[in-house]
Amino acid sequence: MLHVKNRELVIPGQLIAEGGYSTYGGAFRDGNQVYSSVIGLVDARGQDIRIIPLGGRYVPRRGDVVIGVAIDSYGSGWILDINSPYAGNLFVSDLAGRKVDLDRGDISQYLSIGDVVVAEVMDVNERMRVHLDASGPGMGKVRGGKLVEISSAKVPRVIGRKGSMTATLQDVSGCKLKVGQNGRIMIWGKDQKMVNAVVEALLMIEREAHTSGLTDRVRQFLEKIKSEGA
Amino acid sequence: MMEKPEKLIVDGKRLDGREPGELRPLKIQAGVLKRADGSAYVEMGLNKVLAAVYGPRELHPRHLQQPDTAVLRCRYNMAPFSVDDRKRPGPDRRSVEISKVIRDAFEPVVFTKLYPRSGIDVFIEVLQADAGTRTAGINAAAVALADAGVPMRDLVSSVAVGKVDGTIVIDLTKEEDQFGTTDMPVAMLPRKKVITLLQMDGHFTQEEFEHALALAMNGCEQVYGAQKQALRAKYSTKPEEE
Amino acid sequence: MKMYEIISSVKRDYIADLARQNKRTDGRTLDQYREVSVETGQIKSAHGSALVKIGNTQVLAGVKIQRGEPFPDTPNSGVLMVNAELRPIASPTFELGPPDENSIELARVVDRGIRESETIDLDKLGITPGEEVWMVYIDLHALDYDGNLIDAASLAATTALWNIKKPQVEGWTLDEFPVSKKPIAVTVSKINGKLMVDPSLDEENVMDARLTITTVEDGSICAMQKGGAGYLTVEEIKAAYELARAKAAELREHLG
Repeated sequence: MLHVKNRELVIPGQLIAEGGYSTYGGAFRDGNQVYSSVIGLVDARGQDIRIIPLGGRYVPRRGDVVIGVAIDSYGSGWILDINSPYAGNLFVSDLAGRKVDLDRGDISQYLSIGDVVVAEVMDVNERMRVHLDASGPGMGKVRGGKLVEISSAKVPRVIGRKGSMTATLQDVSGCKLKVGQNGRIMIWGKDQKMVNAVVEALLMIEREAHTSGLTDRVRQFLEKIKSEGA
Repeated sequence: MMEKPEKLIVDGKRLDGREPGELRPLKIQAGVLKRADGSAYVEMGLNKVLAAVYGPRELHPRHLQQPDTAVLRCRYNMAPFSVDDRKRPGPDRRSVEISKVIRDAFEPVVFTKLYPRSGIDVFIEVLQADAGTRTAGINAAAVALADAGVPMRDLVSSVAVGKVDGTIVIDLTKEEDQFGTTDMPVAMLPRKKVITLLQMDGHFTQEEFEHALALAMNGCEQVYGAQKQALRAKYSTKPEEE
Repeated sequence: MKMYEIISSVKRDYIADLARQNKRTDGRTLDQYREVSVETGQIKSAHGSALVKIGNTQVLAGVKIQRGEPFPDTPNSGVLMVNAELRPIASPTFELGPPDENSIELARVVDRGIRESETIDLDKLGITPGEEVWMVYIDLHALDYDGNLIDAASLAATTALWNIKKPQVEGWTLDEFPVSKKPIAVTVSKINGKLMVDPSLDEENVMDARLTITTVEDGSICAMQKGGAGYLTVEEIKAAYELARAKAAELREHLG
């Protein structure tokens, strides 16, 4: 039996339900009761209860696309900061997409400290060692563009149901976006005014992620900026 | 130096007019600092306490990392200007002990196993002190941890209980602490009503102790109400209308 | 400094299972202390001393009485200071350096037991008001750490105070050192839902939580300290008090 309404805001230790539900995300069981472990919104579907957290640091999961910044290098690869308690490891062969002869000069020709990279999380072992691959389509070293960082908990809202929010952002602004699960987003656009507008919109989404009607408000906001002068 | 008042309880009421089981005015705000992952500001009577949480984050130096769990660290500190006689900056023995017992108060609730090899740092800064700073610090830290999105089994709520003129009272002021006979800070997990911090110095008979513990737990419940409200208040703002 | 050791899951499960059956690895019952021995007066350079052994744990307490300055708000009262040293001689897990949180906590818990029970009549220890008073330094020196330093230290401190009699120090005018009570700390640990007194080293590394309760002769409480990463229910706290009161009476007999 559910003790709260769907989409209701809950806090740590709050009773959500009683019964044989399956728990995901921020929900946990204690005996026959289900509680929330974080501040978030209840997402109850049938026998599944999950909490959509409104905060929290990013923990990498296999299959996530992330945007990292190279912070250290060693002979055969780099350490990337991925806005997480855990750093990402990128081997040079996983950036170049092929085996690289490490004797032929150093690897900084591929990537330098401070460079931004779009990569996929290939594996996270139980010691939380994160193995990244940046050789796939749409990945690799990033050139140009603006990097924005928001709370990773709000990324699902930036993507929206079936990508609807990202589509809205791109369509109205004319910019191209790459959204990382780790809360980092790249924006490319010819019109600097619209690029800045997208940044504003992303911060709005971060602030108001827990409210409804957000996609419409974002669309309205961007259209207003677009129509304000050339 | 304060003179001891002739009576600390007059007609069943305390010097500031409170009943024995009544809290001082309590104000809690969540999410007050920009850089910290989570934060909270608490006023309990004249106490002003700020708590900030950083983490889970990479833990350095490496040898402190625990392979299967996050390391919870707590640092309680009093600002030099927080007390009447300026306190020299830096940790003193009292702050070290308080930091330890506060960490032990949160260990049972934080899901540390979800973040192996990382660190979760809780900083408590006492900006103005009027007895009960560690309890105010715990109340702030609980809200800050929730604000940071650190998964917890419950919040932690805390209040001190003591004995003045033979009467058991909660949430003592500086005067009551100084001129009373007993000080017993208590922290409770509101859901299961179990105790995660318990210290005492002074004098209690067995009966007095049991009564004090019950009164303290009732006080913790009152604090819990304010903590919940503070967390919800952060998310209750309506979006701006165009 | 880590004051715990990595304990294997096999050992952890073994101790927890035994606890469920009200048993312990060394065959003790839940309410039984290891063998306690108390010797006094060995340290001639101290005004009072006591060596307490609880099982293999050993703590030596030395009391030194010296002239010093009073605190401004009690110009004619003596000053009590308790310090604890957990040095590497006592355990491979102790490191050299300034006092860490464990030695600070230990000293402060023992201090509270003595101070809050008014065991020493500090008001009798003034010399020249506002200028000079007698300082009572109690130093706790851990020699061997095999669990439950607090109880050993508390018993050693109280015993050392009663060992002083008339301190051999110049200018001492009182008849005897003014000590009147016998505060005794008893630590109760919780493992797998069971309460047991005097945790051994293994039990300390495995326990959920501990509660140290210091009582005086009439059973009233002068200090309490919860420790450990777990929690305690109200029933457990009340039961711990009963255990502490009874065990303190037993330990107090060692003082003679």
